[in-house]
Amino acid sequence: MNDANAGQIADEAVKSPTFANKVGHLLYEFFVHFVWEKRWFFIALLVGAAIILFVPEPDGLTHKGLIVLAMSVVAIILFITEPIPLPSVALLIILGQIFLLGEDSATVARSLWNDSVLFILGSLMLAVAVVKQKLDKRIAWLIVRMTGTKTTRICFGISAVSGVLASFIGEHTVAAMMLPVGITLVTLTSDDPKKVRNLAAVLLFSIAYGASVAGIGTPSGGARNAIMIGYWREFFYDPANPETQRYLIDYLRWMTFAYPMFLIQLPFVTLILFMTFKPEYRDLSRAVVRLRSLVEAEGPMKSADWISIFLFFLVLLGWIFISDKVGMGTVAIVGATLFLVAGLVRWEDINSGVNWGVVLLYGAAISLGIEMKDTGAAKWVAESFLGFLAPFGADQGLGLWGAVSVLTTFVTNTMSNGAAVAVLGPIVLNVADVAGESPIIIGFITAVSSAFAYLTVVGTPACTIVYASGYLKTTDFLAVGSKMAITSIIIMMIAAAIYWPLLGV
Amino acid sequence: MADVVEELTPEQLLEARRNRFRVLACVDGSDESYRGLRYAADVGHAEDADVILLYVRPVDQGMRTGGLQVRVARENMLNWGLELPGIQYLKKGRDQLIELGEMASNWGEKFTHTDVDGDPLGDNKIEYRSENGKSIVLKLKVAPSVAAGILDQYELGPYNLIILGASGKAGGIAKALWDPAIAEKVAMHAPCSVLAARDLRRGHGHLVCTDGSEQALAMARKSARMVHRTELKNISVMSVALDDESRPEAQRYVDEAVAVIEEADLEVRNAFVRVGNPVEQIIEAGEDYSLILVGETGRTGLKRFFMGSVAFKVLEYANKSVMVVR
Repeated sequence: MNDANAGQIADEAVKSPTFANKVGHLLYEFFVHFVWEKRWFFIALLVGAAIILFVPEPDGLTHKGLIVLAMSVVAIILFITEPIPLPSVALLIILGQIFLLGEDSATVARSLWNDSVLFILGSLMLAVAVVKQKLDKRIAWLIVRMTGTKTTRICFGISAVSGVLASFIGEHTVAAMMLPVGITLVTLTSDDPKKVRNLAAVLLFSIAYGASVAGIGTPSGGARNAIMIGYWREFFYDPANPETQRYLIDYLRWMTFAYPMFLIQLPFVTLILFMTFKPEYRDLSRAVVRLRSLVEAEGPMKSADWISIFLFFLVLLGWIFISDKVGMGTVAIVGATLFLVAGLVRWEDINSGVNWGVVLLYGAAISLGIEMKDTGAAKWVAESFLGFLAPFGADQGLGLWGAVSVLTTFVTNTMSNGAAVAVLGPIVLNVADVAGESPIIIGFITAVSSAFAYLTVVGTPACTIVYASGYLKTTDFLAVGSKMAITSIIIMMIAAAIYWPLLGV
Repeated sequence: MADVVEELTPEQLLEARRNRFRVLACVDGSDESYRGLRYAADVGHAEDADVILLYVRPVDQGMRTGGLQVRVARENMLNWGLELPGIQYLKKGRDQLIELGEMASNWGEKFTHTDVDGDPLGDNKIEYRSENGKSIVLKLKVAPSVAAGILDQYELGPYNLIILGASGKAGGIAKALWDPAIAEKVAMHAPCSVLAARDLRRGHGHLVCTDGSEQALAMARKSARMVHRTELKNISVMSVALDDESRPEAQRYVDEAVAVIEEADLEVRNAFVRVGNPVEQIIEAGEDYSLILVGETGRTGLKRFFMGSVAFKVLEYANKSVMVVR
């Protein structure tokens, strides 16, 4: 008799299933598979219900405000613990606005779309289109031609080029595009992953962190920037009052604030990486020679390549010069449409490459954020936050900036950085208002700090994509990410204290 | 699953598989998982045994990447002719098997591919077959989670033993980083024996734990057959008495188990009784062996949920490899 049969017979002898046993087993399955795995969902709902039903309305907070606050708490718990698919959190937010707040469904539906959400939608479609152009081999060759074959110089070249590209088209695009470049350089150097572990780390982190520090550079560098610009307009801009004109931050103004910060951080990326990992090979000439033959196999640039480069610059110019009139989202949509019309990308590729749930999620998060402001909940949280900080002397100036930065860095390490800004934006802008600080500076600190999620694999899009290559360990992110985070925070605080006030905010 | 031997229907195939001793070794690139593979090679040395190497890659989620699906990056990698993670781990495992002499490079080779929704690579399988029917399979699988993937793989073809690498000693930092849920989940739900490899070294023997129940004896019989397949055939038996009074009783359990094992033509090296908390005593005694074998106590349903079981506690806290025998 074979083992499996013997096992079955033995099993049957043991379990003669009685009715009670069956019910017990069903209950067990129910508890283990459903309730236990979704425990955070139930905990979040209980917390929300408890806040709405049992917490007395605090001073300065209306009942509606309390409900919005409870919804935000539930949403944050669900964002962090992810017991249910994240887009379903967006659906819950929509349902909550209709059923708990008693809003008209048409009003809620309208609040889901604005220019920031259009921008997220359009830039994701653009991202797929850009990656599909397969210009990555040529970019890689361009980098190597400029830097030579030394490992340090190649790494700096990769992070600089990744950074400049990412500052305009978003870090996820660049990470997806450049990842094969990094891996190819590694595999062409040696086939044995153990021999090139540190080399793989410096090359891949050069891409990921180069792109991550650049995401703050321009408004189109990341969804969070567009969201913050949207909040400034929504919260402070009053068409009747020309004084508030300064809260309309356009593309170039954002760049004067943030681009220098990216450029200063850039050399630190390479420096920190080489202090943390000692690459096994100081020179990559072997890999570079083979890379050249790969590029030569591609043949000369085709007309489609030139057209896609032209369209890319067209979109860039659109963002820089007309986005303050027609909106950044509109320009992104124009770009995506052009790529589709020109036949440079297939709709199927865009359809499978974009996670549409993210668009829904951002829409709902922004809608909730605006609800936070309208009901006064954001103001109440801001006052409480300041009250909490006052004993430490951190309710104004540098102390407050630091507190906001630390808060954002903490939140962004637990959820996606766009979601972090969407959730925190209304609160920190109210903090600035109440404390008499410039909402522009506080807003920048939040948007910029949200890029500091270097510690975890899931913190920034670029890190997640690079991790998917399988060459990095989660512990690598901790080792190098903490140094990166400290450096970035220091650079940002210096910028906030010295550079930004010079720009008149 | 009609992709392995053309002439057989799926039912015949399952039947044919039931008559073989099939070992599923899960590889994740860690040293521990390769030690587990060595054990798999040891147990699956005989002609009627198959070894299946499995790497499970969780499905990528676009939420974490700002809305751009990871598949865009993966497709780009494939365009460059780069291998996705997992393939090299499996190849390394295969090379180790060739080195151990479990497999010759001239075996017949067969490649199959199944599309999986939302992933550019899908499931891939390479089967190597010797002339007398022994097969070694490399399988790359995409699943919502690692544990789900391993359990799915069981559904495709019954296995006699699943081996997982479980790095790190209990309680250390390593344990916090390694997801203990995977080994526990698989051990809890898989209908066959599950081995969680921790610091698995060959040559220190197997320790079978018995509590005198019917299931424990059935499990001792199974363990004996399993150990019979290994090269060293080194087996010992222990039981734990809760206090000194029940010591003779425990001794009787041990004797019964020894008798069962000797029936299977195996010599028992050590047979002993310890007194105290079963979980602690088993873990302590297990330090001297390469592998602790525990049977499931047979509690089902709510009882298991609320009371836990010695087997799973040992699995969770032991510093050594543990096999939950079914």
